Amino acid sequence: MKKKNYGNLFILFALTVFFAILGGMLYTGNIGRQFTNMLIPIFMYIVLAVSLNLVVGLLGELSLGHAGFMSAGLFTGCLVSIRLYGLVSDPLRFVISMLVGGLVAAVFGLIVGLPTLRLRGDYLAITTLACGEIIKTIITNLKITGGARGLDTGHVYSGAKTLFPYAVVLVYLTVIVMMHIKNSAQGRAIMAIRDNRIAAESIGINVTHYKLAVFVIAAFFAGAAGVLYGHCFANVKAASFDYNVSIEILVIVVLGGMGNIFGSIAAAVILRALPEMLRGFENYRMLIYAIVLIMVMVLSNNKKVQSFRYMVTGKLKKKLRERKAAKQAKKGGEMNG
Amino acid sequence: MKKFLAVVMALAMVFSFAACGGKKGGHADNELYVGAIGAATGDYAVYGLAVKYGAEIAVDEINAAGGVNGMKIVFDFQDSQGDPESAKSAYGKLMDWGMDISIGTVMSGEMASVTAESANDDMFMISPSASNDTCISASSNAFRVCFYDSFQGTAAADYVKATLSGKKVAVFYQSDNDYSIGLYDAFKAQAAVNGTEIVAEQSFTSDEKDFTTQINTLADSKAEVVFLPIYAAEASMFLSQAKNGTDNAVFAEGVYFFGCDGLDGILEVVDNVSTANNVVMLTPFAASSTDADVVSFVEAYKAKTGGTVPNQFAADGYDAVYVIKAALEAMGVSKSSEVSGAKVAEAMTSLSYSGVTGDMTWTADGNTQKLATAVIYNDGVDTEFGK
Amino acid sequence: MTVFIRTLISGLNLGSIYALIALGYSMVYGIARMLNFAHGDIIMVGAYSGIVAVMSIGLPPIVGILLGVIVCALLGITIERLAYKPLRQAPSLSILITAIGVSYLLQNLALIIFGPEQKAYPMFSGVKSFQILGAKIDGITILTLAVTACIMIGLNLFINKTKIGKAMRAVSEDKGAAELMGISTDRTITVTFAIGSALAAIASAFYGATYVYILPTTGSMPGIKAFTAAVFGGIGSIPGAMLGGIVLGLIEQFAKQYISTLWSNAIVFGVLIIVLLVKPTGLMGKTIQEKV
Repeated sequence: MKKKNYGNLFILFALTVFFAILGGMLYTGNIGRQFTNMLIPIFMYIVLAVSLNLVVGLLGELSLGHAGFMSAGLFTGCLVSIRLYGLVSDPLRFVISMLVGGLVAAVFGLIVGLPTLRLRGDYLAITTLACGEIIKTIITNLKITGGARGLDTGHVYSGAKTLFPYAVVLVYLTVIVMMHIKNSAQGRAIMAIRDNRIAAESIGINVTHYKLAVFVIAAFFAGAAGVLYGHCFANVKAASFDYNVSIEILVIVVLGGMGNIFGSIAAAVILRALPEMLRGFENYRMLIYAIVLIMVMVLSNNKKVQSFRYMVTGKLKKKLRERKAAKQAKKGGEMNG
Repeated sequence: MKKFLAVVMALAMVFSFAACGGKKGGHADNELYVGAIGAATGDYAVYGLAVKYGAEIAVDEINAAGGVNGMKIVFDFQDSQGDPESAKSAYGKLMDWGMDISIGTVMSGEMASVTAESANDDMFMISPSASNDTCISASSNAFRVCFYDSFQGTAAADYVKATLSGKKVAVFYQSDNDYSIGLYDAFKAQAAVNGTEIVAEQSFTSDEKDFTTQINTLADSKAEVVFLPIYAAEASMFLSQAKNGTDNAVFAEGVYFFGCDGLDGILEVVDNVSTANNVVMLTPFAASSTDADVVSFVEAYKAKTGGTVPNQFAADGYDAVYVIKAALEAMGVSKSSEVSGAKVAEAMTSLSYSGVTGDMTWTADGNTQKLATAVIYNDGVDTEFGK
Repeated sequence: MTVFIRTLISGLNLGSIYALIALGYSMVYGIARMLNFAHGDIIMVGAYSGIVAVMSIGLPPIVGILLGVIVCALLGITIERLAYKPLRQAPSLSILITAIGVSYLLQNLALIIFGPEQKAYPMFSGVKSFQILGAKIDGITILTLAVTACIMIGLNLFINKTKIGKAMRAVSEDKGAAELMGISTDRTITVTFAIGSALAAIASAFYGATYVYILPTTGSMPGIKAFTAAVFGGIGSIPGAMLGGIVLGLIEQFAKQYISTLWSNAIVFGVLIIVLLVKPTGLMGKTIQEKV
């Protein structure tokens, strides 16, 4: 337990440093425009990846409908924001719209999860994909969301400097909730379901209850992140949040490591920044992206690479342990003396 | 250790990026930095690349002839895959690069977000092809070369009324595409005003490739004109399937397929030029025109792309660059650091430019005024239709 | 009545193409236990090879198809060797992501080589059509159905009766035990991929003949639809894939004809969800009793 908490503190510390530097640079105008414009989408992908990691990593269920929940939250949240514009102060408007977006997404999560979560593996994957596509079709055919023309969010459009604090808070919230679940009794129950459902059931864990809770929580954060995303564009179309977006989020989760919060964050940043960094390569950039994806998967599962990594980390850990032991010995010596 | 490495890598990536922030005007005054954004890869690459090549031809021609008031154009086209998120980053990248003036983005969805982002930048933008009604309204410095959707839909309905009066009309549109919906809504509204009877409406989505059911339903309605507010690629699929192999067609002989500028370039994408028979297209640009400017543009485009005939998007891209040149020359700007978006926008309203897509003037809201003529295709030859 | 028959026929036509793609998809899944997301893109490669062979080199269409089959089989083997084989012991999600990477790779390679413009697939033109009860049925539809049925029967026989087929089933049941019995897992899975990819090439010929135009992204939607069809029928089951594909095609066309073209996509996926809720392992999937 104790060791895990150190890991969590490390993540929170790293995040804080990261946000502080980023925020400092953003508000003093030391960040390029390209990167400024990427900030909010990257934060959204962090939230989406961490929340999907809850489902895929902790619960062990493959969901391909995350973009659908995000989309549902995005459109309701942005509609609320548009209606509230000028009526309440901006911070309140952002908070209310993100809450509403999250709640609506959570309701969708409940509606989708209730019947489908008894399916398993690839069957659940295709059902969640189907639900995402149905949500997309509904939003595209509704009048209130602007239909195929997309929802004009032009007059609630906000720059990165306005949205940054909300994005930071949302990332923190997601990470903390995820950590809390991971390290609580509930989290262990969830992981028990992942590792062996029948065994978990036999010791009295209510599988459906936990599965549903995880699904709903993940959907909530996806929806709230969507609202944030909607505010940094002037026009959003449901058609752009199809299964390909869900797959992109899944790629981030898998690359970052199952159940690994920190990995999800790092992978979201790297994977979203990579195509932008490769801009100079024009036609070849998506090709390079694809090759990097395959290489990372193949190499990270390569025995030699793994053993090399263990060797390096092993040596380092050994050194740390020795240093710690030496320190304690010294401390002990001082006390004794 | 792994975590540490990941932190270092993520941070290095972030800050290497963040650090390369530049201020506008970091280049010589005799160079004019012109930026553009569109899909060079992905599903919409065919449109983005057409604009890119068209604009590049214009840039080469202008530079060969001495530039814009002595300023040499440096052109940068950034890939967005048609995705607004990527387009917005691309806009930032262009701003970091030191862009002076822009031909905006290729697609409407990208344009809306980029326009909103550029509203405080004093950046003039003239999009070749973003036709959605509201996509340029966020900035007073945003203009376009193409028609806007509802204008074109209305014009199409009027044209049908004038040239195909009394005929039964059916519509086949793409329900998840903003261009198609924009034209369809305006067409329907104007058709009601004109008293034109719409006997059937069928739609499809970008996920569909099989139009059999829709085609049969449209044919059942005994429509004599099918309005196709869609792009050439989808229209070619529709027409090929409507012809149903080689032995007989689903639609009766003599049914017209009426489309707008999206259909442009259909002869280049159909499997057989006879597939496009009876297609009537309302467009400001026809590659087959004998106009000297158009002929030289088509030749240059073919030489650049290895024989591809330019479509509407390419022509719009070509014109957009020339419009920028015309505006700056009319203002007498000869230093790139003196280019002001607001001033160019002001000059635009009194500018008239004659390009390969026709004679254009602009209103203060950024929309262009130009004429569209209709052509009809038969066995790969287009002739003027109606009038 | 004519409308009904006509919709039935167009549903069968669409369904038989889904089925043809789903057969390869389901076979690879059944034996290698992996979702090959790049299957749709192999169809695209097959179609482009056909176009190159017939349009550029000037070979007769049937040779073009054969060439496509060979190219795709080799491509399948190469992909398997380079990308999937190193991941044999990896978690299934890692393999899924690799397959997605391969899919991106193939699409972008095609984009660089062939450009973004659509190309026409010039085969089978001139196949006659027939009149049945007042509705017209395309020669291509009958041919596609016949070929799909033949392939389904052939595949079933191959897997159940031949030695390699038995090896395949053994590998799919238990890799370790199969190895102990002297079966080379690697070779068996390679053969599986070669066959699956060859089937994709055949599917590409019929896809091209029906829908004429090919793009670098042509494979992605049929890939997803075939995945849906395979799950619908019970993934891993060969007759299930055929049934799933055809049912999917029928639902799609009937929804468009009788309900709404706006909602057809949602209806197809809705029916899929309902079927899976009633029968959680698809129409013909085996229910596996789970044990601790």
